Amino acid sequence: MKKLDVRLLRMVNHSKGQFVSVTVIVAVALCIYILFSITTININNAVEQYYGETNINDIVIELMRVPQAAVDDLKSIDGISNVQGRVSVDVPLQVDDKNERVNIRIVSIPKNGGVINKLHTIKGNRSELGDDNVILLQQFANARNIEIDEVITPYINGRTHNLRVSGIAASSEYIYLMENEQSLLPALDKFGVAYVTEAFAQSVFGYRGSYNEVLIKLAEQKNIEDVIDIVEKKLDKYGLKRITKLEDQLSNNVLMQKIEGIEMMSSVLPVMFLMVAAIIISIMLSRIVNNDRMAIGVLKALGYSNYNILSHYTKYALAIGLAGSAAGITGGVLLSKPMSEVFVSYFNIPLSGIKVQYSYILNAIVLTSLFCIGSGLFGARGVIKIMPADSMRPEAPKSGKRIILERLTILWRRVSFSWKMVVRNIFRNKKRFSFLVLGLALAYGINVVPLYMMNTMVSMFELQYGEYQKMDYTINFARPLSEGKITDLSHLIKADRIEPRIEYPFELANGWRKNTVAIIGIPQETAFYKFVDKESNDVKLPDKGIFITEAIAKSLNVREGESIIVKSFLPGKKDVPLKVAGIVKQYLGANAYMNIEEMRTLLLERQMITGVSVASKDNLKEKLKDVKNITTISSVDDMKQSFVEYLDTMNLAIWMYMLFGGILGFALIYNATIISISERKMEFASLRIMGFEKKDIYSMLSKENLIMALIAIIVGVPLGAGMINGMADSFSSEMITFPVIFSPRFFIQAAAATIIFAIIAQLAALRRIYNLNFIDALKSRIS
Amino acid sequence: MQKKILMRVENLSKDYRMGEVTVNALCDASFDIYEGEFIVILGPSGSGKSTLLNIIGGMDLPTQGKVFLRDDEINKYNDRKLTAYRRDKVGFVFQFYNLMANLTAKENVELATEMCMEALNIDEVMEAVELGDRKDHFPSQLSGGEQQRVAIARAVAKNPLMLLCDEPTGALDYKTGLLILSLLHKINRQFNKTVVIITHNMAIGEMADRVIKMRSGRIVEIKENASPIPPERIEW
Repeated sequence: MKKLDVRLLRMVNHSKGQFVSVTVIVAVALCIYILFSITTININNAVEQYYGETNINDIVIELMRVPQAAVDDLKSIDGISNVQGRVSVDVPLQVDDKNERVNIRIVSIPKNGGVINKLHTIKGNRSELGDDNVILLQQFANARNIEIDEVITPYINGRTHNLRVSGIAASSEYIYLMENEQSLLPALDKFGVAYVTEAFAQSVFGYRGSYNEVLIKLAEQKNIEDVIDIVEKKLDKYGLKRITKLEDQLSNNVLMQKIEGIEMMSSVLPVMFLMVAAIIISIMLSRIVNNDRMAIGVLKALGYSNYNILSHYTKYALAIGLAGSAAGITGGVLLSKPMSEVFVSYFNIPLSGIKVQYSYILNAIVLTSLFCIGSGLFGARGVIKIMPADSMRPEAPKSGKRIILERLTILWRRVSFSWKMVVRNIFRNKKRFSFLVLGLALAYGINVVPLYMMNTMVSMFELQYGEYQKMDYTINFARPLSEGKITDLSHLIKADRIEPRIEYPFELANGWRKNTVAIIGIPQETAFYKFVDKESNDVKLPDKGIFITEAIAKSLNVREGESIIVKSFLPGKKDVPLKVAGIVKQYLGANAYMNIEEMRTLLLERQMITGVSVASKDNLKEKLKDVKNITTISSVDDMKQSFVEYLDTMNLAIWMYMLFGGILGFALIYNATIISISERKMEFASLRIMGFEKKDIYSMLSKENLIMALIAIIVGVPLGAGMINGMADSFSSEMITFPVIFSPRFFIQAAAATIIFAIIAQLAALRRIYNLNFIDALKSRIS
Repeated sequence: MQKKILMRVENLSKDYRMGEVTVNALCDASFDIYEGEFIVILGPSGSGKSTLLNIIGGMDLPTQGKVFLRDDEINKYNDRKLTAYRRDKVGFVFQFYNLMANLTAKENVELATEMCMEALNIDEVMEAVELGDRKDHFPSQLSGGEQQRVAIARAVAKNPLMLLCDEPTGALDYKTGLLILSLLHKINRQFNKTVVIITHNMAIGEMADRVIKMRSGRIVEIKENASPIPPERIEW
C-alpha cells in the first residue's frame, strides 16, 4: 500500500468519532435512498403485475340502466378490446352492534368470472357462486374477522338476505379500499364489497337483462379520449352518470399518490442529508489541511505534486462516502425486502415480485462519491495555496480585526470577557460559521416538517368539520326523492336542524380541460356550510353561478368570474354554461357548490333531493337503520374516530423524521465542536495557563454553539416554512389540499428538539476538552 | 582537477510582504555550488540563509535573479517541473525533522522513495544511518537525534544530487549534533553527494569545503577552506 494511503488510514483511525458521525449521515441518506427507491419499484411492479393478471378495466362507466345488447354493441367500437357489464349497488349490512352502520357494495360478476377485473381468489371456491352465497373482499373480511361459511346479511330493497361467504378474494379495483371520494380515510370495517352472480344481482336490484355499470378494456391506451367520446354518445340515452378512467379511479389514484410520496421521500431526504454531510466534510478537511500545513510542506518538498496531495485528502472524504455507502446500501437492501412486503401487504396487493434493484446501488455509489469528492476537493483546496517554504514557518496569526459589534461601544462594554471571545471567534470564521448555520437550519427544517404534518392534519380536520361543514350527519338516499321527505324524516329523529342536499356528478369543462366532480346543492341560507375564499374571507353562496374548490379551479385553469361548461350525464339534459362565482377552500375532497334551487332548475328536476344534512345529538344510525331508501349515514364522530386511528399510524413516520433531523443536528454540532477544539488547542492551552478552568473553556465553546443554534433556528424558520410550502404543494392532490398553516407551536417544538440534540452532541464532545493536555498543545508544532 | 558546477546562483533577491510591510529577505546573492562539495552557509537568524536554501531547493521562487541547475534555469520552471525537481534532484533535512507523525521511521523513508525512479535500497540506508533496529518505531517513540537520522535517511534514500539541510543540529544537544554532522559528512564523502548546510553555528563552518557568510540578506564573504577538519573535532 502506498505510504500516503497508510497515513490516510491512520488519520481516519485517529479521528474515529468525527469519521463515524459523518459516515452515519451518509449511511442514513443512502439507506433511505435505496430503501425507498427499491420499495417504489417493487410496489409499482407488484401493482402492474396485479393489474395485468386481473386484467383491470381502463374505463368504468356508471349509468342508470343499460341493456345487455347495448353493452355488447360497444365491442364493435374501434380501440375497445373487451366490454363487461355489471350491477353494482351500495346497501347497508346488518351487523350485531345496532349502533354500527356498515355499508356493502354488491357487485355482480359474470358466470365464468368475467374477463375484466377478474378476482384474485384468496380462499374458497368461486365456482360455487350461486343465489345464496357471495365472495367477500379480503380487506373487509379481515377487518371484520369474517371467515368462509359465515353468513352476512345485507339489507336489500327492504329485505334482509342471508348470504353465505363461499370465498374470499382480492380485487385490483379495490387495492386501496374507500367508499367514495368524500371518504377521508379508509375504514376497512365500515365498507366492504361482496361479489354475487349476475342473476342474483339483476333480480334483487331489478335490473333484469341490464346493468348499471360497464367496464371497458382498451386495445391501446392512446385512443382513450376518442373511445370515451364515442361511448359517451352511444350510451347517453341510458342515463350516463359518469365516465371514469383508471387513472382517476379512487383506489388507483390514491395508490399512485402514495407511491409518489414514497418516491419523493427517496430523493429529497437523501439529497438533504448528503448536503449536510458535504458541509461537514469540507469544514473537516479544511481544518485537517490547516493543521497539516507543515506536513503538506514536507510532502511538497519531497516532490509530491498538488494533485498527489489533494487526492490524498480527498480520499479521506471518499473514504467517508464509501464507508457510508457500504453501510447505507447494506441496510437499505436488507430492509427493502421487508419494507416492500409491508407496503405490498398494506396496500393489499396479493402478488409479489419483490426483487432488489441493483442498478440503484450503482447510482447511489456514484452519487455519493461525487458528493464526497466534491466536498473533499472544496475542503482541501487550501493545499494548493501552501508554498512549501512558507509552511515551514509558523503560521502568521489570524489578523485580529475589530468586529462590527465593537463599534457599538455602549453595548460592547457591557459584554463580559468570555462572551467577547465567543463573539469575536464567530465573526473571525464567518464562512464556516455560515455553513454550519445553514446545515443546522436544514436539520431544524427537517424537524419542522413532521410537526407541521401532524398539526396540520388535525387542523385540517377541525377546520373542515368544525368550521366549513358543521352538520353532525350527512345522509344519502338510495335514489332521488322529493323534498317533502324531510318532513317525514323530522318525525323520526330529534334534530336541531335538517337541510336538503343534492349531490350529483357532472363533468365540468373549460376548453379541453375536463373534470368530473360532484356538485353539491345546498340552500342559500345554509347554516351548515361556510365558505371562505383564498384569503380566508367569508363568502356567501350566490343565487346564480357556482363555487368551485381551489383544486378544481387549478385543474380547469379557471379564475373567478370566468365561465365553465357543466355537462350532465342525465339523458336529455343539455350542457349548461355557468359562471364561477367564487373559488373556495376545501381541504378534504373536491366539490363544486350551487344554490339548491338554481341547481334543480338548471341541471336536474324540481323538488328533488339526494340526501340531507342534519344537526342532531340523536344516534341517527340506530334510529334510521330500518328506513328504506337510505344508503349511507356518515357521522362526523365516526370520521373523527378513524382519523385519530390514522394519526396513530403516522406517529412512527413522524418520530423517524425527528430522528433524522436529530442525527443531522448531532453530527453538525459534534463535528463543529471537535474541530474547534483541535484548531484552537494553543489558544485553550494559553487560557488554561492563565488560570482558566476546563469548565470555563467548555462553557465558551457551549456559548458559541448556543449562538450558532439560535441563529440556525432563526434562519431555519423561513427554511422550514419553505419546506412546508413544498410539502403542502407536493402532497396536495385534488382530493386533499394541505393548507399552509404556520403555527408558532411547531416552530417552537422544533427549536426545542434542535437544542436538545445540540446539547447531546456537546456532551459527547466534552471528553475532548477534559483530555486536552495543554502543555503538549503549547509545544506541539508537528501535525 | 577542474571542479564541475552543479548550481549557479545569479543576483538572487527575494522580497516578502508581511501584512503591510515589505521585507528584503535576500539581496543580490551570487555564487556557485560545485559537485560533491560540502558547503556551510553561515549567518545569524534573519540573514536570509533559509530563504536562499528554499529557493535553491525549489521550495520558493525568487523575486529577481536566476538559479541554474547545470544549464537548466529552475526559476523558470512551472509548478509541475518544480515538483519533479524537488522529487528527483534535492533532499531536504529540516531543523525540526518534520516527520509524518502517523508513519513509522521506515514508512517515512518509503513515503519519499515511492515517488522516485532511482531510489536507494531502504534497508541499506536505514543501516547506514544506524537505525536498522528502530525502523518500525513511530517518531514519537524516537529521540531527537534518531528523528533527525530518519529525516536524513529520508533525504538520502531518494538518491538526490544534493542534500539541503536547514539547521540540522539546531534542535539537538552537542553530542547528538556532532553525530548528525558526521553522518552528513559520511554521506558527502562516501556517496559523493553535494551537501549544503545552513546554520548560525560558526564552528560548523570548519568542516566545510567552502563557507558562505551572510548578513541582512546579503552575502558578505565566501571563504574557501583549504583543510577542513573532520566533524568529530569540532567544538562549540
